[in-house]
Amino acid sequence: MKKLSKLSTVYLVIMFFILYAPILYLMFYSFNSGGTMYHFEGFTLDWYKELFGDSRLLIIVLNTAIIALLSAAISTILGVAGALAIYYARRRRVKNTLLSLNNVLIVSPDVIIGASFLILFTMVGIKLGFISVLLAHIAFSVPIVVIMVLPKIEEMNTSMIYAALDLGASRWDVLTKVVLPYITPGIFAGFFMALTYSLDDFAVTFFVTGNGFTTLSVEIYSLARRGVSLNINALSTLLFIFTMLLVVGYYFITKRNNKPGRMGVR
Amino acid sequence: MKELIRALLAVLIVSFILIFIVFRLNSSQGYTSGNTLTIFNWGDYIDEDLIKQFEEETGIKVIYETFDSNEAMLTKIEQGGTAYDIAVPSEYIIDKMIQEDLLLPIDHSKLPNFQYLDSRFLDLPFDHGNKYSIPYFWGTVGILYNTKILGDRELTSWNDLWDPAFKNQILLVDSAREVLGMSLNSLGYSLNDKNKDHLQEAKEKIDALTPNIKAIVGDENRLLLQNEEAAIGLVWSGTAQEIMWENENVEYVIPEEGSNLWFDNMVIPKTAKNVEAAHAFINFMLDPEVAAQNTDYVGYSTPNKEALKFMDEEVVSDERFYPDEEMTSKLEVYENLGKRMLAHYNDLFLEFKMHTK
Repeated sequence: MKKLSKLSTVYLVIMFFILYAPILYLMFYSFNSGGTMYHFEGFTLDWYKELFGDSRLLIIVLNTAIIALLSAAISTILGVAGALAIYYARRRRVKNTLLSLNNVLIVSPDVIIGASFLILFTMVGIKLGFISVLLAHIAFSVPIVVIMVLPKIEEMNTSMIYAALDLGASRWDVLTKVVLPYITPGIFAGFFMALTYSLDDFAVTFFVTGNGFTTLSVEIYSLARRGVSLNINALSTLLFIFTMLLVVGYYFITKRNNKPGRMGVR
Repeated sequence: MKELIRALLAVLIVSFILIFIVFRLNSSQGYTSGNTLTIFNWGDYIDEDLIKQFEEETGIKVIYETFDSNEAMLTKIEQGGTAYDIAVPSEYIIDKMIQEDLLLPIDHSKLPNFQYLDSRFLDLPFDHGNKYSIPYFWGTVGILYNTKILGDRELTSWNDLWDPAFKNQILLVDSAREVLGMSLNSLGYSLNDKNKDHLQEAKEKIDALTPNIKAIVGDENRLLLQNEEAAIGLVWSGTAQEIMWENENVEYVIPEEGSNLWFDNMVIPKTAKNVEAAHAFINFMLDPEVAAQNTDYVGYSTPNKEALKFMDEEVVSDERFYPDEEMTSKLEVYENLGKRMLAHYNDLFLEFKMHTK
C-alpha cells in the first residue's frame, strides 16, 4: 500500500475527531465537579464513587454483562450450526432462501422484532425478565453470527474435506478437526459481534424487560429522559472503555489466529 | 476445536460467577425474601432516602423500576407479564386504565394519612371519589422565560407569545393537548373544548405563531432552556422548577387566562402481588413529613396540605408553584375527550406541525 499523503492524513484525523468528539466531550464532563454539561468547574471522581456506591446500578451492569455473554455464547453455537446447514444445503434455491430469511432478520427494524417478541412471550406465558431478555437477545444475535461465519466456510478449500475423508476421517472428525479449526476466526468474530450487539441493544430489550430486570441501555434511557446527571457520563465512560478493551481483545485474538502455521488441522 | 471449547468454558464460567455475584448482591439487599414491593415510577421522581426509610420501618423490600412515558407504562401493565404493585401515571391515562379495568380499587380505611390531602385536588373528573388513584404530585403548564435575554420584558399572558419581538425564540412541547390548549386558553375557550369551529380557530391562531417558534421538542427542552439556547419555553411546572435550580435567569409564569392542572397519581395495577404493602407505601408517602421531604427533592408541587408546614416558607408561598385559590379556579384538568375528539386534536396538531416546516 502506498503511504498516505499529507492531505489524506489530515482528512482522516478530522474525520475521526468528528466521530469521537461527542464521546470525548461526554467523558470529559464525567470528571466535572460542577454538575452540569456546559460549565467545567473542577476535577472530581465523585460521580464514579456515586456509581460504585449504587448497588442497584451495579446489579444492572452485571446483568447486562451476563445477558451479553450467555446470549453471545448460545447464539454462536446456534449460528455456527446454521451457517454449516446453509453451506451444506445441496440445492441452490434452498440455500438462497435460507440465506435471505436470515438476512431479513438482520435488516428488519429492532422495534418490530421487540414488539413481536413482547406479543409472543405474553401469549406463551413467559414472564418478562431475565429469560425473556436472554431469549430475545439470542434470537437477534443468531443471524449476525451466521453472516460472520458463512464467508469463512465458503472460502474454505473443499479439497481439504475430501482429503480428510479419503484419509479415513469420519464425518465427525471432518467437522471437529478440519472445518471448525479452519473457521475459528470467523466464530470468534461472530461471538464478539453478538456480544457488542447484545451489550448496546436498546429497542428489543426495552420491550421485553420487566419485573425488576433491566439492562444498562434501558436504564440509561429512562434516566436521561429526566435530565442527564453526570453519573450517566461516568457510566458511559466506563462502558466505552470496556468496549474498547473488547475491541483490543478481539484484535489480538484475530491476530493470533492469522499467524501462519496455526490454521488447519491440529 | 480445543480452543473453541476452552473459550466456551471460559465464557460460561465467567457468566456463572457473575450470576453468583448478582444473586449474592440481591439477597444482601433482601430482594429475594418474599415480602417485596415493586414500584413503577417516572425516572428520578422520588427521594431514594425515603425508600430506605420505608424499608426500615416496615421490613418490606422495595424494587424500584422506572418508565419514561405514560404510554410505555400502560403497555407494560396492559400486556400483563409484569407484577407492579404501584404505578404513578398521569391523570388522563388513569381514566383509560379505569375503563380498561386495569386498576384495583383503593381501600381508604388503610390510608389514615389520606386526610392530609388538600380537598382542592380530590374528587376530580378523571377519578370521582378517588376510588382508584391518590394524587402524588401536581403542577401546571406555563411559560418559562429568560430575563437575561429578554431584558425587562415581563410575560403574563399567553397572548404575549404572539409578540413579533420574540421571533425564533419559543420552544414548544411536542404534545397536542398542551399546544392546542395554549391556543384555546389564549382565545378564552376551555382546554376541553369540543367545538370544532373553536378548535379550527385555535389551530389558525397557532399557525400565526410559526415565525416565533424555534423548535417543537420533547424532554430535551429542559437542557435547551437551561443552556439559554432559547428565551421562551412552554413547559410543565416541574420542568420549570428543575431549570430554575440550574439557571437563575429564568422566570416561570402561569398565564392569567388560565392553564392546565395536571396530576401524577399513585395507583395499584390489577397485576399487583402485594396489595397490602402497596397500601402501606401509599400511606407512607402521604405522611406530611415524608411528603415534604419528597417535595424538596423532586421540586414539583405537593397536594399534601399538612406537608406544606414542614417545608420552606419561601417555597410554599411561591405563587408560581403554589398558586392561590383565585388562580387555581382558572386551572382546568384535562377531561377524556373520547377517541374521535382526541384524534381530531392530534390531526390539527399534526397539520400545525406540517405548517411550521
